[in-house]
Amino acid sequence: MMTADSLHLTMATLEPFSSLELGHFILTSAILFAIGIIGFLTRRNMIVMFLCTELMFQAAAIAMIAFGRFHMDLSGQVFVIFILTVAAAESALALALVVLLFRRKETLNAEAWTELRE
Amino acid sequence: MTIETTHMMMLANTAAGPGWAGFILWFPLISLALCGLWSILRIKSKLPAWTTVGCLALAFLTTVALYVSYSEPVVIHLFDWFNLHWGSGAKAGSFVANFSLYVDSLTLLWMLFVTGLGTLIALYASEYMEPDVGKGYTRFFAGVSVFLFAMSCLVMGDNLVLLYLGWEGVGFASYWLIGYYYTKPSAVAAAKKAFIMNRIGDLGLALAIWFIWLNFGTVEFADLFAVIASGAYHTEAGGWSISAIPFLLMLGAFGKSAQIPLYVWLPDAMEGPTPVSALIHAATMVTAGVYLLCRMFPVMQLHELALPTVAWIGTSTAILSATIALAQYDIKRIMAYSTVSQLGFMFAGVGVMTTAGAAYHVFTHAFFKAVLFLTCGAIMHGFAGQLDLRKLSGIMRLRGWKVVSVTMLIGCLCLAGFPLTSGYFSKDMILAQAFTSGHSAVGWLLLFTAGLTAYYTFRVWFRVCIGPVHFEPGDEDHGDDHGHDDHGHGDHGHGDGKFHPHAPKWAVNFVLIAITVGAILAAIPYFMPSGEEGVKGGWVASMTLDSSARDGMYGVYAIEEKGKLFGADPYNAMYFVSAAFGLVGILIAWWLHLANRKAADALRAKLLANPLTRWLPTAMENKWYVDEIYHVFVRAPLWVIGHAFALIDRLFVDGLLVNGTGYLPRAVGRMFQPLQNGVLQSYAVLMAGGFALVVVLIVLVMPWLQPILADWMAGTGGAG
Amino acid sequence: MLMTSLLILIPLAAAVAIIFARVEQAKWIALGGSLVAFVWSLILAIRFDEWGGDGFALEGAVAWLPKFGISIAWGADAVAMMLVLLSTFLMPLCVWGSFTAITSRIKEYYGWLMVLLGAMVGVFLARDLVVFYICFEFTLVPMFFLIAIYGGENRAHASVKFFIYTFTGSLIGLVGLLYIAWRHSVFAGDWSFDIAALTAFAASELTAQEQAWLLLALMAGFAVKIPLFPVHTWLPLAHTEAPTAGSVILAAVLLKLGTYGLYRFVLPMLPDAVIEYAPFIAVLSIIGILYAALICWVQTDIKKLIAYSSVSHLGFCVLGLFALNPLGVQGSVLYMLNHGLSTGALFFLVGMIYERYHTRDMDRMGGLAKKMPIWAFFMVFFVLASVGLPGLNGFVSEFLCLIATFVATPEFTEYPGVLGPWYAAIAGIGMIFAAMYLLIMVGKVVFGPFKEPATEDHHHGEHTLPADLSPREIGVLVPLAVLCIVLGIYPKIATDAMEQNVQTTLAAYPAKVEAMLAARQQSAEDTQASKPAGTGVPTHAFEEPHESLTEMFSPARYESPMPLASTPIALIPAAHLPKGGTP
Repeated sequence: MMTADSLHLTMATLEPFSSLELGHFILTSAILFAIGIIGFLTRRNMIVMFLCTELMFQAAAIAMIAFGRFHMDLSGQVFVIFILTVAAAESALALALVVLLFRRKETLNAEAWTELRE
Repeated sequence: MTIETTHMMMLANTAAGPGWAGFILWFPLISLALCGLWSILRIKSKLPAWTTVGCLALAFLTTVALYVSYSEPVVIHLFDWFNLHWGSGAKAGSFVANFSLYVDSLTLLWMLFVTGLGTLIALYASEYMEPDVGKGYTRFFAGVSVFLFAMSCLVMGDNLVLLYLGWEGVGFASYWLIGYYYTKPSAVAAAKKAFIMNRIGDLGLALAIWFIWLNFGTVEFADLFAVIASGAYHTEAGGWSISAIPFLLMLGAFGKSAQIPLYVWLPDAMEGPTPVSALIHAATMVTAGVYLLCRMFPVMQLHELALPTVAWIGTSTAILSATIALAQYDIKRIMAYSTVSQLGFMFAGVGVMTTAGAAYHVFTHAFFKAVLFLTCGAIMHGFAGQLDLRKLSGIMRLRGWKVVSVTMLIGCLCLAGFPLTSGYFSKDMILAQAFTSGHSAVGWLLLFTAGLTAYYTFRVWFRVCIGPVHFEPGDEDHGDDHGHDDHGHGDHGHGDGKFHPHAPKWAVNFVLIAITVGAILAAIPYFMPSGEEGVKGGWVASMTLDSSARDGMYGVYAIEEKGKLFGADPYNAMYFVSAAFGLVGILIAWWLHLANRKAADALRAKLLANPLTRWLPTAMENKWYVDEIYHVFVRAPLWVIGHAFALIDRLFVDGLLVNGTGYLPRAVGRMFQPLQNGVLQSYAVLMAGGFALVVVLIVLVMPWLQPILADWMAGTGGAG
Repeated sequence: MLMTSLLILIPLAAAVAIIFARVEQAKWIALGGSLVAFVWSLILAIRFDEWGGDGFALEGAVAWLPKFGISIAWGADAVAMMLVLLSTFLMPLCVWGSFTAITSRIKEYYGWLMVLLGAMVGVFLARDLVVFYICFEFTLVPMFFLIAIYGGENRAHASVKFFIYTFTGSLIGLVGLLYIAWRHSVFAGDWSFDIAALTAFAASELTAQEQAWLLLALMAGFAVKIPLFPVHTWLPLAHTEAPTAGSVILAAVLLKLGTYGLYRFVLPMLPDAVIEYAPFIAVLSIIGILYAALICWVQTDIKKLIAYSSVSHLGFCVLGLFALNPLGVQGSVLYMLNHGLSTGALFFLVGMIYERYHTRDMDRMGGLAKKMPIWAFFMVFFVLASVGLPGLNGFVSEFLCLIATFVATPEFTEYPGVLGPWYAAIAGIGMIFAAMYLLIMVGKVVFGPFKEPATEDHHHGEHTLPADLSPREIGVLVPLAVLCIVLGIYPKIATDAMEQNVQTTLAAYPAKVEAMLAARQQSAEDTQASKPAGTGVPTHAFEEPHESLTEMFSPARYESPMPLASTPIALIPAAHLPKGGTP
């Protein structure tokens, strides 16, 4: 309890952004997410699709930081650090998989892989 | 009424009998066990026969000892079998049917000839079955032992369930022995038919037992007679459950004793070895129905129409099978139909309330029919399976066949009711009683049947035993496998020149003579004192009188107005009337089949030529097409239903209901299957779309739905 | 506790040992394990002090999930003990009988058999509902693999069908049992899965309507297992495809789980519903008896014939139970044992033929008595036991079941029933049919002209079987034959042992049946009285044109019909609702 209170006090002393409000960050996040999802849904290149998922990740990260700042809570930033770590690991894995998939069929087209169809 | 009741109470108050009487049952079992042992040891000698003969002889001696020491009905408890109790105090109940024996004079009468004839016929079989030594010999004698055990249970059981055990047991023994030549399809089919036909009757008996237990609360004879005598049974279940009992008992008896409508198995049962036909299908097992009705005679009177039904069924069977016997050529088959016919006489006897007459006829018939079958068997044995009376003639003049021919003659005389033979007296008791008790239609029909019987019996004897010597051997070589092929007898002879019939040896001849002497002496009990004023039938009648069948004898003399025959007491008039019928039958047979054999063929040809009468010999030769009728009306429909059910089971119950239900989840899955197309983006679209849907629900629909839900929860949740 | 648990642990230990053993040791370990289990069960049976009593012995319990009142509780009454003995008796024979038949994946096979034994014994010994259910369902797993791996050509389909069908049924049954446990928890304030407590509770506190629904649920579980017409179709398939030992165990023990369930749960827990619907279930049994018998008649596959004959025979068993008098219930329990012995033996015999000729088609063989006299002897013997020849075991139980059904009339003083002569008379026709189809089979296969199926060229490697039975095979059959004779001529050992037990199970029935009959008579009189006099047209003729089958056979047809469509919530009465809430 003590630590939370003291943390709150520390953050409260910080200077807030002058002109930017929460809404701006949320909007940015939403736009990023939309770009990501549209890109993911429309493109067939696996690398591009992967990049789009990263975009969506980062959109989420922005939103979390913004809310964390808004609520004066460090959890948001903690989560973002998690996301970054996971994203790094995951991109390494995903790119490796993409390379493997490319080697199998000499294409990056996602539609070439429909083995999971029932 | 009072005499009857005291007598019944006497039957009910039974003392405990001597335990050694159980050996009448145990000896055949020991024989069975030893036969099993011999077969395991692969004994290839006649040891099984001597084992069986010895054990059966001991059983016979035990029976004799029991007869000698007999003074009053006794119950001998061997061990508990069905012994169920429940409740306590006033609510206590029990179902008790133990392995116990009930010995009264009726039991003894039956057991004496069952074990006696059983021993003699086993002895006969020891020679008759000689070619099978090392093959089926042990199996045969094991079957005979099973039969004797089951028959002893049937006759001696102190309750209906043990009787039922014997009842089914003799049916099984009969199945075993009819199917002795198991590679022969006709024998297997006959065995199966016998068992199944008997099972139908058995169901009737089982139902009767259940009804008896339902109404009288006991299945033990002593208690049962006591309950009936006291009249203290409840009838509020509706009279029908009591009046059904005699009819169901009857059904059981008709199955076992080959009466209409269940008689068709018995003629087919002649596929078994001849000693079996003699022992089981002539002398002993088939009389079990008569025994049942005698034993349950008080029960048979629970419905006033029961005994007349028995009388009429017996009469119809007698006349029907006699007409079939007229037109057959296979001598063993003729004897089989004559057995059916004679059983009809016995049932008619029970029906017209002379259990003594019926029992006496059973007694004499056991001897003379055994003789006839055994002589037929000897002929069949000697002439390589030849049984066609057109292909055998004058065998009396062959060396070594005198004994067979003479014993057969005596057997035929008894069967034909020739004056002063045993069959003559026993049949007369039934015929006379039919007139006495006012069933004169039954009496006249039976008299007519007696004439037919005399004719077809002597048709056999005149054809086969005397006349010019002529014979064709059958196609069966006894040394070889029996009936390996099933084509008919006598199609191709081995030629008279080469074939030498082998005459029977000492065992067969000894048994034939012994049983023939028995058949002759069986007339003597008629003249012995019966112990009751004015009762004819002598010793046999007194044996029957002492038992539960007494009611029948009592009924005879209770009849107020005795019927007359030609103005005289039927018992006296019948000596002459039946003798006349018998002699006429014999004379016709003499004329057609000895003096002028061509006349018989001419008569048949004449009947066949006339379109109006053609049906008669055709139908008689084809046994009135009863088998075919059963096939069309019973077997075929059931077969069709069986197939229909199999189809329904596969297509409807399993196919539609079960697999259909199993198919449902799969069908639902298949409906959504296109969504799983494996394309990554379509999954993503679905995910996004689904998410969007949830958002829309939460944002737009919920605010509208929430109040309604809240109302509903408040309305019902509160009540719960 | 430990002594009883050992009976389950011995086979499981054998199964574990088999995993670590060499292939050629597997069968010997299995034989040893099952023999030890059998001997152990014999020792327990000797120490068992409730023979002839009505209580439980060998009891013991260990708390498992105390919060929900679940404990691992064992115990056996006389009936359960007999079935335990049947299971342990048959398993060594099954193992021994499989020595030459199984040639691939041997270790798994014997391992599964051992697991199966443990599960079967567990079902009969369980005194806790959850343990019972676990064991009950766990019998499916080994059986599934036995069919799926070692079965015939259509084994995949058969095993899946067997599993899903019976599993679905028992899940519905589980729902019913859980409902009882939940109601009990509401009533008593605490959870308990103790079978005795639940039985006492259910019999006295549940309303007639609840009982009716529960009867439906429990019957769904147990009737599929028995199997009762019309939910029997998994059985012929499973039997036909299963390996010999699988068929034997399936017929001899697994089917009995269903009838045991009826005896243990349905009869004591739901007396009102049982009385009400006994005629309906009896009619289903009778249909099953005759229907399956007629189907048997036209089968050409021997194994399928015997499988259908099981359907027919188990109909008698159910009929006996629902006669609701000691005769019938004792007969029925005896039937469970007898059917296990004779039908089990028949499956062994068919398996022996199959091992030699690789076919079960009756049309392709005939007159085998000539070549295989010993086999023929046993075949005829067990067929006769199955047909119900007096002197052999089948007769005693069949006779008791039928006479019990026959006398189960309202007039039967000590135990009034709701069936009667007609039920028994029609079911009795099944006795004739049984003789017909079995003897036709014997006539074709055992007797008649000799005909041998052409032996196929793929021989099973190392094993060469003699033309007739080997000593091992005879050794498998002889114990069964001996027991058939013993139970046939001295059934008293079994009937005496369970006499008290059965009466205690049925204790509630006489009074309830009488009350029901009185109520029915009363309402009939009321209907009579309220009938409008003098109107020419009988008005009631047009009121209810459609009468459902259930109502037709329900003695309550004169009472107000049950509102089947009411919501489940409405079924739950307040916990203090008066007993037997039939209006």
